[in-house]
Amino acid sequence: MAFEFKLPDVGEGIHEGEIVKFYVKEGDSINEDDVLAEVQTDKAVVEIPSPVTGTVKKLNADEGEVVEVGSVLAVFDTGDGDDTVDEPTEEEGAADQDSAPAEAKKDKAPAAPAAVSGKQVLAMPSVRKKARELGLELTQVEGTGPRGRITFEDLENFQAGGTQQKETQPERVEESPVAEPKEEAAPAAVTHVPQGNEERIPLRGMRRTIAKRMAQSVYTAPHVTIMDEVDASEMIEMRKWAKPMAEQRGIKLTYMPFIVKALVAALREFPTLNASIDDEKEEIIIKKYYNMGIATATEDGLVVPVLKDVDRKSIFQLADEMRDLVTRTRDRKAGVDELKGGTFTITNIGSFGGQFFTPIINYPEVAIFGMGKMADRPMAVDGEVVIKPIMNISLSIDHRLIDGDVAARFLNRVKELLENPKLLMMEMS
Amino acid sequence: MVVGDFSTEVDVLVVGGGPGGYVAAIRAAQLGKKVTLVDKAELGGVCLNRGCIPSKALIHAADEVNKVKNASHMGIEVEGVRVDFSKTIQWKDEVVKKLTGGVASLLKGNKVEVVQGEVYFSGENTVKVATESNSTTYEFNHCILATGSRPTQIRSLPFDGEKIISSTEALNLKEIPEKLIVVGGGYIGLELGTAYAKLGAEVTILEGTDSLLPGTDPSMVRMVKRNLKKLGVTVVTNAMVQKADTSGNGVTVTAEVKGEEKSYSADKVLVSVGRTPNTDELGLEHAGIEADERGFIPTDKQMRTKNERVFAIGDIAGQPLLAHKASYEGKVAAEVIAGEPSEVDYRAMPFVIFSDPELAYTGLTEKEAKEEGYDVSVSRFSFAANGRALSLDAADGFFQVVADKETKQILGAQIVGPEAASLISEVVLAIEMGANAEDIALTIHAHPSLPETFMEAAEGIVGNAIHMVNK
Repeated sequence: MAFEFKLPDVGEGIHEGEIVKFYVKEGDSINEDDVLAEVQTDKAVVEIPSPVTGTVKKLNADEGEVVEVGSVLAVFDTGDGDDTVDEPTEEEGAADQDSAPAEAKKDKAPAAPAAVSGKQVLAMPSVRKKARELGLELTQVEGTGPRGRITFEDLENFQAGGTQQKETQPERVEESPVAEPKEEAAPAAVTHVPQGNEERIPLRGMRRTIAKRMAQSVYTAPHVTIMDEVDASEMIEMRKWAKPMAEQRGIKLTYMPFIVKALVAALREFPTLNASIDDEKEEIIIKKYYNMGIATATEDGLVVPVLKDVDRKSIFQLADEMRDLVTRTRDRKAGVDELKGGTFTITNIGSFGGQFFTPIINYPEVAIFGMGKMADRPMAVDGEVVIKPIMNISLSIDHRLIDGDVAARFLNRVKELLENPKLLMMEMS
Repeated sequence: MVVGDFSTEVDVLVVGGGPGGYVAAIRAAQLGKKVTLVDKAELGGVCLNRGCIPSKALIHAADEVNKVKNASHMGIEVEGVRVDFSKTIQWKDEVVKKLTGGVASLLKGNKVEVVQGEVYFSGENTVKVATESNSTTYEFNHCILATGSRPTQIRSLPFDGEKIISSTEALNLKEIPEKLIVVGGGYIGLELGTAYAKLGAEVTILEGTDSLLPGTDPSMVRMVKRNLKKLGVTVVTNAMVQKADTSGNGVTVTAEVKGEEKSYSADKVLVSVGRTPNTDELGLEHAGIEADERGFIPTDKQMRTKNERVFAIGDIAGQPLLAHKASYEGKVAAEVIAGEPSEVDYRAMPFVIFSDPELAYTGLTEKEAKEEGYDVSVSRFSFAANGRALSLDAADGFFQVVADKETKQILGAQIVGPEAASLISEVVLAIEMGANAEDIALTIHAHPSLPETFMEAAEGIVGNAIHMVNK
């Protein structure tokens, strides 16, 4: 008997995933709960277990392909059921054929995608066209118009909350199965003309997600970055003092927990930096909880695991949890839940040697704090040049919500707390 | 390929210059493609030359005659109405000529190269085009097939073009036949039969099933039948035609009617039992394409055939065989070729029949809506309660709206009555826009006008119709 396995929603609200890897080929047998495939969602790589024991009859996607939740990912032959004649059912026959006639058959049952009934999604032709251009499945979009009609705004919001940016024109030109004659190049399309030896790598997986996220952030939030330098002498002293104690507890103490604590203290005073904008409803969401995103470089690219309730954790606790979370993130073992829910993000390029930079906000958050490398540098103290361990810090803000003066005062406060880490004790709740 | 047989490279090759093909060609050209269109006969295809346009011209002429003849109750007395049929045909030809000329200049204006010839596939992306004088091989990047359909011939009554004719000849008769037999009570036979009856012919319609317009809501067909009777048209249902004898002056058709053999005599027999797609002489197998058992080419939602460079649109791509469906599909195919994410995505296809009274329907019928899982609400407004219909002396018929009971969303409509073919457009728009009956009821419709009937029927769904008693 054939079993059609539809791609489940692998994480909350995710509506599509990219197939990173299949662990089986067509014709292979597989046991229930064995890993069938790895699927890259917006945030994490998730393993998809096989729902049944049987033979893989058909895999409906290639590695690298984006598959929508609810579409048939694989067809299994479970062997049970009909034990008389091994004749393919009509559906199987259709699935085995080449794509064109199979799809033509599907046409005759227009209700197929909606599954539940033949009822139509309420949307105007132009909205449906736009959805096709954006690659959105209308059945996934909630309509806010009268009686659930899907509007252009719904598409935009779905897209912003979901995953995709509009496919760009050049990509589409490349998708055309037949090479276009040169003079045919559409004048508006930015086509790339090779000037020398080059390699083309498909923009896939994490890199594509990162690319889309970054572009979404920059195109949505007007970024302003302000920068400053911090005299880290006191912080270094404090860490030196606390380090043996931490080690006794098996904890490796870095500067990050101090910075997290300083940021939380400042965020309390400047709540608009621990906020987001609900673009759909045009509301500012001030968050009364503090979940710190820690930008982490992994082999696949930048991932931001989230350390929850940092305001209620001790420095040691933070150090311990952070190390664990970051390690698991690097190994791509962090769960989807651990990769979302952040209210503010820290990015540290100091460990790689950078100084000042413009961090890109982890949208829909409204601010991000960047740390540069700590290094001995000359500083003027009371009219004299002294050598001090200096750390450069950067703060990017969403200028729609946060004004320059607020950002500057926030950064001043962070600086003050980092230069006098004892103050952090005063801020403890 | 023979040495010296050079092929001409074309970007988009469109085969067929009908409402599918020429529209696809123009759309592709608009999108920056270099397009070559090949047609074996004349631009405009069946629709312009042998279908929609000439038949509607003839139907209109017949209507005018009929109106004049039957205007005495309005106090209009006209004596000695005479039809100079050759002039009628001439006028019809002029209408056709204006439109085909328009197509030619539109194609030219969009820099579409037009070639006259017959197309035969010689490979996956090559065709041979046989023109009057020679044969040329074309190599295409993309091909859009739009070769349309032709009248279906039945073995017992093969067309001879003289006494046993198809719709093509029926539109080009030299004189009005005294007696005309129409085999097939579908829309083509019905339209032409009605027209000739109005022009004075004695018409008999022989239909094989138990109803005229098989597949159409019987309550709509009833109105049409009533008028056919008034016109003196004989309708014989369950009539299985056996043979025709053309030896004498006219033609005698023998049919088995409910087990009894009967014969009918006339000057001419119009056979209109359906249409056959023109896919049998294209050499499709050389392009890796296969037509189904009825000759239609399976396509996906983007009109792509099994050969991904080749698209099929219009009649050859399957039911319904309608010019406006062909044009729609032509635009989709052209846009897909240009890299746009177009696909067939209509909610409502309008069907119109220029019978008397006109019939039109779109979307779901009550029965279909129930099958799709809707809790259905139906409202019917009679043209007899519409001022404009009465003042047009055309109060027969009704405007029926099918809606979802819960959301009041418009799902379909069935119209029989004056200008039904025009009135249906508003319903198609309503369905595409996802409008509900309240939207229509709240939209002011001009008074007095026929479209008011849509508003009233919609009000009936909402439960506040003024000019009928709400259920």
